[in-house]
Amino acid sequence: MDHAAGPAATPPPAEIFRPRPARRAPPSTLGVQGWIRQNMFSSVPNALVTVIGIWIVYAFFDALFGWAIGNAVWQAESRRECLDEVGRAGACWPGVIAWIPNLIYGLYPKDQVWRINLAGLVLLLWAVPLWLPRVQSKVQIGLSLVLLFPLFASYLFLGGEKGIVWSALIALGLAAFLWTLLTAATETVFGLGIARFAVAALGFASRSDETRRRLAIAVLLAVYVVAVILVQALSLPFVPTRVWGGLFLTLVISGIGIAFSLPAGIVLALGRRSRMPLISLLSTTFIELFRSVPLITILFMFNTMLPLFLPVGVEVNQLLRAIVAVCLFSAAYMAEVVRGGLQAIPRGQYEAASAMGLGFWQATGLVIMPQALKIMIPTIVGNFIGLFKDTTLVSIVGLFDLLSMSRAVGEDTRWLGLFLEPFFFVTMIYFVVCFGMSQYSLNLEQRLSAGERR
Amino acid sequence: MNEAVAGAPPIELIGLNKWFGAFHVLKDIDLRVQEGERIVVCGPSGSGKSTMIRCINQLEHHQEGTIRIHGRSYGRDTRENDAIRREIGMVFQSFNLFPHLTVLENCTFALTWVRHMPKQEAEDLAMSFLARVRIPEQAAKYPLQLSGGQQQRVAIARALCVRPRIMLFDEPTSSLDPEMINEVLDTMVELAESGMTMVVVTHEMGFARKVADRVIFMDQGEIVEEAPPEAFFAAPRYDRTRLFLSQVL
Ligand SMILES: Nc1ncnc2c1ncn2[C@@H]1O[C@H](COP(=O)(O)OP(=O)(O)OP(=O)(O)O)[C@@H](O)[C@H]1O
Ligand SMILES: [Mg+2]
Repeated sequence: MDHAAGPAATPPPAEIFRPRPARRAPPSTLGVQGWIRQNMFSSVPNALVTVIGIWIVYAFFDALFGWAIGNAVWQAESRRECLDEVGRAGACWPGVIAWIPNLIYGLYPKDQVWRINLAGLVLLLWAVPLWLPRVQSKVQIGLSLVLLFPLFASYLFLGGEKGIVWSALIALGLAAFLWTLLTAATETVFGLGIARFAVAALGFASRSDETRRRLAIAVLLAVYVVAVILVQALSLPFVPTRVWGGLFLTLVISGIGIAFSLPAGIVLALGRRSRMPLISLLSTTFIELFRSVPLITILFMFNTMLPLFLPVGVEVNQLLRAIVAVCLFSAAYMAEVVRGGLQAIPRGQYEAASAMGLGFWQATGLVIMPQALKIMIPTIVGNFIGLFKDTTLVSIVGLFDLLSMSRAVGEDTRWLGLFLEPFFFVTMIYFVVCFGMSQYSLNLEQRLSAGERR
Repeated sequence: MNEAVAGAPPIELIGLNKWFGAFHVLKDIDLRVQEGERIVVCGPSGSGKSTMIRCINQLEHHQEGTIRIHGRSYGRDTRENDAIRREIGMVFQSFNLFPHLTVLENCTFALTWVRHMPKQEAEDLAMSFLARVRIPEQAAKYPLQLSGGQQQRVAIARALCVRPRIMLFDEPTSSLDPEMINEVLDTMVELAESGMTMVVVTHEMGFARKVADRVIFMDQGEIVEEAPPEAFFAAPRYDRTRLFLSQVL
C-alpha cells in the first residue's frame, strides 16, 4: 500500500490532462445506406455476389409462388380434375384439404376427436400461467405440468375401463390442473395461492400456523375430491393406439420425448460426473451405448427384440415401445449436452456455494444447473428440434406419424399419385414448429442474459 | 461431544497433513487463532497457503490431524460439517459471485436457502451489508456489470450477510487492477477494526503491517515462521523468509 517515495528532487508543476472530445463517425458508415454500401457493394465482386444472390432468391420464390398459389387448384373432386385443369404447373390442394383431418388426427374416430382438442386446450391453459408475471408458483405449476398432464391426457386419448388406481391417478392429474387454474387466478388477483387464499377468505387468517396448515391441506383435498367426482362422471370409449396418427401422434411421441429427455439427461449427466464409480460407470455405459447407435436401430430393437426377452403373454403396446426407444435415445444425447454445460461452469461457483454451507444438491440445483442449462439453451432446443424431426422414423415400425400420413394421401384412389402437395404441406408444419422453437429459444436466451453482459 | 465450546479458540489446526495424490502439500501444520485475531499468511507460490485455508472450511479434505472450529471438529457427518462451515465466510481471488443472480440476490442467497430467512428481512439485511461495503446503489445490477473491485466488495458483503464468526480471504486483491486494490483493502481494514477473526492470504505487505496481529510465512507446505508484523518485517529469523521479503517488499 505505502510505497516509499524516491529521493526528493522537486518535480515541475503537474500539467492538466484534458481528454479530447469524441468525434462523429464518418457518415458513409452510418445508417441503412452506410450499412448496405459497406456490406453489400463494397467492391465489384461483392456487388456481383449481391446481385446474383438477389436474382436466385427472386427466381426461386417466383416459381414457388406460381406453383403453390398462382396456378394452384383449390376446388376439385379428384386429382384427375386438377390435372385436366392445370396439369403439373399448379398445386392440387383439394386433396390435401380433404385429408387435413387425417393428417392431424390420424384414423382417430371422428366423433372422438374432441378429446384430443380438449387435451390440447388443457395443455394450453396449464402452460399459460408459466408466462404470467404475477404468478409465483411457477415451479410447482411447471412440475405438475410435466409430471401429471401426461396422466390426464393419456386417459383422454385412450379412454376405456379405468380401475381404482388408474382413476386415482387420472384424478390427480385433473386436480393438479384445477389447482393450477385456481392458484394462477388467485395469485394474479390477490397475490396468494388458492389454499392460502381460501384460508384467508374463510376468515382463518389470524389462527395459529398449525390450524392454517391443516385448513390449506383440506382445501387441496377438496380440489382432489372434486377431481375424483369429475373423473367418475367421465366415461370415454376406448380408442386403441393403432388408430392414432398424424400430427397428433408426432406431438405425443415428441412431447413425451422432450419432457422426459431433459430431466433424464440431467440425472444421467450428474451420474456420469458422480464420484461413485458404479453410478458413474452405469451412466457412462448407458450414454455411450445409446449415442453410438442410430435411432432406427433402437426402434427396431425395441420393436422386434424386446418381445423375445419378455415372458410369453406379456405384450407391450407398439406405440409404447417406440416412445420408450425415443425417450432413452434422446436422454442419452441430452445427458451429453447437460454435461457440456456443467463443464463450462468454473469450480469456484461450486466452492462458493459450498463455502456458504449449501449441500451438494442445493449447490447443484440452485447455482450450477441454472447456469449450465442457460448456456446450453441453444443446444438443448436444437436437440428438441432434432427429436421432433426424428419422430418421422417411427413410421419404420408401422406407426402413422405426420410424414407417413402424408404419403397415404397419394394412395387414396381419388387422389392417386398426389404426393408432392401433402409433402409440401407437412413440410410447412414441420418448418413452422421447428422455426417457432428456435425463435423462442433465441428470445429466451436474450431475455435470460439481459443485463449479464458487460 | 461435538458442540461449540465456550472460550475455545475459533480456529485450531493440530498436526495437519495433506497430500494431493503422492504430493505432500501440508506438513504438520499447527495453528491456533484467537477470537478477534487477524492473521496474514504469505509465502511463495505453491507453498500451500490456499490449501491450508481451504482446509479450514473443508473445501479441501485433510488426511491427518485435527481441525477445530470453536471447539467443534469436522467429521463424517456432512450435515454437521455444513453446520460448522456456516460459521466461516470465505472470499476468493476470483470473486466467485453467481453471475445469474443480481448483486442483491447474491447477498440474500445463503440467507434464503441456508438460514430460511423471510425475503424482506433478508433483503434488508443484505442492503445493510452492501451499504457497509459502500455499493448499495449497485444492488440491482448483475455481477459482470461491475468492476473487479466492486465485485470483490460484493463478495465480501455476501460472505458477511450470514454473520460468520470467522472470515477467510484467499488473495482477495490478486486479480484486481492496481487502482481497485485499495478500495477492497479499505473494506477489509474496516472489517478488521470491527473485531472479526480473520485469516488473510495476501502479498499486500502494507495491509499486513497495518492490520495483522500475526504474520505467518509458509514454504513447501510448512509454516516456516510466525511473528507479529513488526518483528516479522524487521528481523525475520530464517534466510528463506528474508529472501521472500526481499522480493515482495
Ligand atoms: N487439486 C489439486 N490437485 C493436485 N495438486 C494441487 C491441487 N491444488 C493444489 N495443488 C498443488 O499443491 C501445491 C500448493 O497449492 P496451493 O494452491 O495451496 O498454493 P498457494 O500457496 O496458494 O500458491 P499461490 O500463491 O500460487 O496461490 C501446489 O504445488 C499445487 O500445484
Ligand atoms: Mg493460492
